[in-house]
Amino acid sequence: MKILVPIKRVIDYAIKIRVDPTKGAHGVQLNNVKMSMNPFCEIAIEEAIRIKESAAKAKKDAAEVVAVSIGPKQCGETIRTALAMGADRGIHIETKGDVRGDYIDLQPWGIARLLKGVVEKEENVDLVLLGKQSIDSDCGQTGPLLAGFLNSPQATFAAKVTMEDDGAFSVERETDTGTETIKLNPGHSPAVITCDLRLNTPRYPTMPNIMKAKKKPVQIISLEDMAKELGLDLDDVLKPRNEVVEVYEPPPRKEGEMVASVDELIGKLKEKGLVA
Amino acid sequence: MLAIRGIHNPSGRFSLRPPTMNDVQYFRSVLSRTERSILTDLMEIDGAGDYNDSGEELQRYNRDWTKTYHGSSSLVLRPQDTAEVSSILSYCHENYIGITPQGGNTGLCGGATPITNEIILSLEDLNNIHHLDPFSGILQCDAGCILQNLHDYANERGFLLPLDIGSKGTCQIGGNISTNAGGQYFFRFGGLHGTVMGMEVVLPNGEVLHFNMDIGSDVENNAKENGIKRSGSHRKDNTGYDLKHLFIGAEGTLGVVTKVAIACPALPSSRNAAFLICNSYDKVLHVIKAAKEDLGEILSAIEVMDWNTLQLVQSHGISVNEDNYGRNGLLGEILAAETSGESRPLYLLIETQGSNSEHDNSKMDAFLSRLFESCAIDNGFLSQDSKQMMEMWKIRESCNPSVARAGCVYKFDVSVPMKDYVDVAHEVDSDGNAHINIVPKLGNFDKDKSLAKLIENIVYSTVVSRNGSISAEHGLGQSKNSYLSKIKTKSTLEIMSQVKRIFDPRGIMNPGKYLPLCQ
Repeated sequence: MKILVPIKRVIDYAIKIRVDPTKGAHGVQLNNVKMSMNPFCEIAIEEAIRIKESAAKAKKDAAEVVAVSIGPKQCGETIRTALAMGADRGIHIETKGDVRGDYIDLQPWGIARLLKGVVEKEENVDLVLLGKQSIDSDCGQTGPLLAGFLNSPQATFAAKVTMEDDGAFSVERETDTGTETIKLNPGHSPAVITCDLRLNTPRYPTMPNIMKAKKKPVQIISLEDMAKELGLDLDDVLKPRNEVVEVYEPPPRKEGEMVASVDELIGKLKEKGLVA
Repeated sequence: MLAIRGIHNPSGRFSLRPPTMNDVQYFRSVLSRTERSILTDLMEIDGAGDYNDSGEELQRYNRDWTKTYHGSSSLVLRPQDTAEVSSILSYCHENYIGITPQGGNTGLCGGATPITNEIILSLEDLNNIHHLDPFSGILQCDAGCILQNLHDYANERGFLLPLDIGSKGTCQIGGNISTNAGGQYFFRFGGLHGTVMGMEVVLPNGEVLHFNMDIGSDVENNAKENGIKRSGSHRKDNTGYDLKHLFIGAEGTLGVVTKVAIACPALPSSRNAAFLICNSYDKVLHVIKAAKEDLGEILSAIEVMDWNTLQLVQSHGISVNEDNYGRNGLLGEILAAETSGESRPLYLLIETQGSNSEHDNSKMDAFLSRLFESCAIDNGFLSQDSKQMMEMWKIRESCNPSVARAGCVYKFDVSVPMKDYVDVAHEVDSDGNAHINIVPKLGNFDKDKSLAKLIENIVYSTVVSRNGSISAEHGLGQSKNSYLSKIKTKSTLEIMSQVKRIFDPRGIMNPGKYLPLCQ
């Protein structure tokens, strides 16, 4: 069984984002800022490893988990983290300096086209697990686009994934009105599932696994070479379909007002029209 | 009028008196915002005046964080600026009234709790942050600023406050300076003696002095008179006896610190943390040595914890064990991690900070590989992102509160030569390491005074026999000053008393604390 997990390197979720307003759409400061694996991608890796582990326990065929990332040299670290968590091997499609490794240049459409090529090149991929969205662009488009390109059954915002004996995947999805359960039957194309926060808690890589990860194979291929290999037009891959119009920081939170008594509080609330 | 029983100022020549309603009336006339600045349960002389509900609030100031020490002050003053601190002190000096300065009230030796009914002088309303110079990194602020707020202010401007302790959400920088607080950055940045550049203090007689600081009206006047250009606080200033060092760690016995200038390093863009598991103390020492060699200048913190402590964090810690969805957190995985199983494991939290994440990652990688291959560690966890790093620190910072929730704690904060830690721990039969927490009976919260004395004697004699310090970080306050005569020579103590007499001839500042009572 083969599970492909695309992972994205983004600004660490705990970092305060700084915006340089003079730089327009490119205003988000990336220099010297801590980067980590997108939290939803982490959840996807964790889910893939759990499926692999339960397949092993059920003495089915050994499952293989492949982590794929597209971006600059440092994406290699992100892949190493996935390997330390338990993925078996990695594929790094490396971009050069002139390609910004974030939502400006690498957009869902281009990524999904590349991933389609990787799935077809790999052959026999049963499942593609992705994070539901990345925390920099918040697009949430890569999974559904990929499913469209592959003609795959898809389920987004997965809160629970169960693999049935017949190879189908039963997915519980979070929606605004409640939980919906969908069964995906992969046939010629893999099932595509995007993962939501409640699906699992990613494990912490332990020292033995971190050491083992160094020996696991990672194939590094440049974006140009990969595009050529897959028969894709690189300009078409990089052409933006989403246009970033403006980037700005949210307005600062207004300071609260101190009041000295309950009467004053009521007075202020009335002033602001919050109570009758 | 009551005389304070049992309080002798070091010279023993004067006795101090507690405040009365007359004093309150005087303060009402000189302080602004009196409804805020004056908190008292003293009644009007003729019985008139509003009944006030100040009992609860007064108790808060009269009691320390560990709930060991209880004062009986009837008057808390909360001045709004340095000038008000000055008029309060000069009045008390004139009238021989004892004063206990108080910051965040998070101390562990009762230094901020009055012995009986001295006035409590709270610095909490002196909380303005003035300026952070973007080139020198020197931050100037009032003494009542909460440490966490200073951290946030500095971080927003790309700097790091070089002092970090568990109580940072409540403690104030003036208190930190007065107790020479250590904390987890001590290893990397050194203590406050190295990072404090300047200070504004108010002497017991009301005089305001500035040491290498340019904010304050008397400095401005001096500058105008002498045509000197004001130029802020400097990193280098070699002009005369450096008096500010006397105030660092003086625990409010020489005067009141009202403003501070502290030098901040640039905020590191790269931070990494690892939680390591060793099966013996020898291995722990080995790891510490390797960390200093392999990580070098990026090493910023080393914290050692033992199995007993982490067990208590797991059983009594709040929101440490689960994430928002009730699932097993990092602590669970740490305690479940495979070890050699020969003896109870010991744990280390190691943090690095630097300006280049690639450089730092490769150093950390080499360091951990070396440890693992040489079997110095049984297992470990390396943080992959900020969330995991914060969880590691949360476990460490939960140690003290969790132990406090388990039962009545007899706390000791001692320094011994590193190789002797574990011997000290075994002799005392306690939890081991520098912050020794002894919980004789889990679930029992009543302090047994005779047991406390017994434990104290055992711990201190063990420590002293190894030439250690009975107070590594927490200070003397009212809990340890009696030991001072056992560990300092007579001449040293005599000079300390003379210094005290120079600054505070009437002994009004924090009477009964710091120096031993009979001098």
